[in-house]
Amino acid sequence: MNAASNRPALDGLRILDLSQVAAGPYSTMFLGFMGAQVIKIESLSRMDINRGKARPSQDDLRVYPNGDPGKHPWNTTAHHVHRNINKQSLTLDLSADQGKELFLDLAKVCDVLVENYRGSVMDRLGLGYNSVSQINPGLIYMKISSQGATGPEANYGSLGSTLEQTAGLASITGYDDGLPLMTNLVYPDPVVGILSFGALMTALRRRFRTGSGCLVDLSQREATTMLLGESIVEFSVTGRIASTMSNRHRDYAPQGVYRCSGEDMWAAISVTSEEEWQQLCKAMGEPDLADDARFVDAQSRRKNHDDLDSIISNWTETQDHYQVMHVLQKQGIAAAPVLKGGEVINDPHLESRGFWDVVNHPEAGTYKQITTPWTLSASPRSTSTPAPGLGEHNLQILNGLLGLPQSKIDILVKKGVIGDTPTD
Amino acid sequence: MTTNGNNLLSDISVLDLSQGVAGPFSTKLLAGLGAEVIKLEPPSTGDSSRSSEPFLGDEATLENSALFSYINTSKKSVTLDPSIRQHALAIEKLAQECDVLVESFAPGHLDSLGLGYGNLSKSNLDLIYVSVTPFGQTGPYSQYKGSDIIAQAAGALMYTIGLPDKEPLKVGGESGLYTTGVSAFAAIMLALYVRDTQGLGQHVDISAMEVMTVSQIHSSIYAQFGRQNERRGTNLVRAKDGWVSPGLETGVQESTWFKVCELIEKPELVDDPRFTTMESRRANQQDLLDVISDWASTKPKEGIYHTLQSLRTITGYVATVEDLLVSQQFIYRQFFQSVSTPDLGEVTHTGAPFRMDDSALELSPAPHLGDDNEEILCQRLGYSLKELGLTCKRGD
Repeated sequence: MNAASNRPALDGLRILDLSQVAAGPYSTMFLGFMGAQVIKIESLSRMDINRGKARPSQDDLRVYPNGDPGKHPWNTTAHHVHRNINKQSLTLDLSADQGKELFLDLAKVCDVLVENYRGSVMDRLGLGYNSVSQINPGLIYMKISSQGATGPEANYGSLGSTLEQTAGLASITGYDDGLPLMTNLVYPDPVVGILSFGALMTALRRRFRTGSGCLVDLSQREATTMLLGESIVEFSVTGRIASTMSNRHRDYAPQGVYRCSGEDMWAAISVTSEEEWQQLCKAMGEPDLADDARFVDAQSRRKNHDDLDSIISNWTETQDHYQVMHVLQKQGIAAAPVLKGGEVINDPHLESRGFWDVVNHPEAGTYKQITTPWTLSASPRSTSTPAPGLGEHNLQILNGLLGLPQSKIDILVKKGVIGDTPTD
Repeated sequence: MTTNGNNLLSDISVLDLSQGVAGPFSTKLLAGLGAEVIKLEPPSTGDSSRSSEPFLGDEATLENSALFSYINTSKKSVTLDPSIRQHALAIEKLAQECDVLVESFAPGHLDSLGLGYGNLSKSNLDLIYVSVTPFGQTGPYSQYKGSDIIAQAAGALMYTIGLPDKEPLKVGGESGLYTTGVSAFAAIMLALYVRDTQGLGQHVDISAMEVMTVSQIHSSIYAQFGRQNERRGTNLVRAKDGWVSPGLETGVQESTWFKVCELIEKPELVDDPRFTTMESRRANQQDLLDVISDWASTKPKEGIYHTLQSLRTITGYVATVEDLLVSQQFIYRQFFQSVSTPDLGEVTHTGAPFRMDDSALELSPAPHLGDDNEEILCQRLGYSLKELGLTCKRGD
């Protein structure tokens, strides 16, 4: 049974994906990687925000390949190309009766529905869990929302950056001046995307064993707060309020990010034991430092961390950031270059592990795509399928899956219920 | 508090040899869904996180680390050292009975002790064997060491965090490693689903660097599209008691701008061309923040958050851990759970990371070192503690 299976992990599963922006699209991207069929639904008047504007202005050009939006800008933005791989695109107007009917027909033949609208949007459309579970009791309805499906703030809006604030993460992220900072990377979104994949697998496993579907209620704020649980435990017992602490660590010392040769190049170093400290002194060519009273144990090193930082910086400043990693790791010290986006795509380690997929997108060109945060020995991931053009799979899904005749599809196009060109 | 009806993973037994944060966090999530998690720790010293700051008493003990207490709820603790031959045999026996094994040793280490995937899967065919390491099982860095900051650095997450004139900054706490744990959890649930539907087990390889590379979300694609993502300043505004981001440059419909002007008592701004459209507000963000700052500086942050959200803005307030515990939203959803512990009294933990209709998170306190030696090693496997050299409870 140890031989690799040729069957994708999620072979035969069909996902109805109404999600937008980042957290939801990330989870359905992973589902696609593991072999599920993902049908992404957008309307011609409201595309996924990831697709940008129908007619971009000069200020928007930086999100397109080499600043060129091409003929169909909505098919080539960085966010769409990167987050919506492994999906099929169907346009539907969910505010129109015909759009609703087709949506419910699809819900009948899907296993999972994923959405991340504000609290009650789907209920107002008459397409909430109560409606769709009546026509498909086995459906798993994944509701990803800012605050959860219930509670006084259920209809509040959020962005990744405001979630970092309201979930507490910003209060412990920052330099040592206590000024909270956000990641600029909507960090809660990938975390929630990965977690909702796990939640869906939990629900799917239960369905496999019991036959019943369910509503999965995932609050992005709660999921993000989970990342600072030890500080909540600490506060509840001691009353201490965790704050920012720059790049330092409560136990490890020294720990920090140190300037290296080159423009804005840095290396991270994290010394987790006394042995590693002694090795670091040797590696820097300063073996006597190990006997310096200021640095004799982790507690002293934390106290005199500023002094130590200048000594380490003196050593790293003349070196390449990759070199710092290799030299220190060979001595058993945790270290790594602070890689930029343009560097990590060429990192030899990720390359050798086959982490990146090279994708040839018909309109956006060839690029390297992030894949999955796991590797399974018997269930390899599928190769990336380029992010779909708007409405690219309308015919395939409406005719091929739902059996709608071409004549009816033509009428839907005429009425603007479906199409391949945004209306705004 | 709520412990009823949680049987999602009550049929699953997990043998957890992992140490530190990432692996143990994945098994905390499994334990919360009802799995039996047997945590194996080195005798005498226990998991390294038992010795982690901050401690919940005046003196550090192996039982009062906040970090350990948080990430090991609802587990059993058994003291065994895989490098002792007899202990390795006991681990092998336990591995024959378990569904999932999680470990975090340097790649190849457990193989050398006869406890690698190849050996253990011979007698437990559909075993799910999960390795959670800094850089993964293969590749030139596979033997390299890691920590939270190392993962965030190598995975291209932290380069864009922080201010432009300062060094790159990591996301606070151990959040990179927690995310690695979440990824391991997701992969374990995936592997369990595959085992159910296809009848096969497998080796799951989790690399903290790759988890962070997945989490950098767009730096890598921007770079390829000709744009470098850079560190940039913050749009936070000082409130009376902390910080808010008013969010008026995103997501506010033009029609609500006049309401905002009313609210901040600046009716003259209703027609100010710098602010009348979302695009102009974005272009004149600094002017906008100055205007709002005057108003915000005398108001409590959470009040500003509710007031502006009620106008359908995407506003945030920087909550500290203290603020989180009094958030009406969290209270309404009973997100936090109080856990009674023998040594520390009532301790507050985060609750279920997601909810399914009849499920609730089941939490019991993290175990004392070796709490379950008797049950697991003697009653279940038939050893005497003496023959394993575990003379007292902690396995000293």
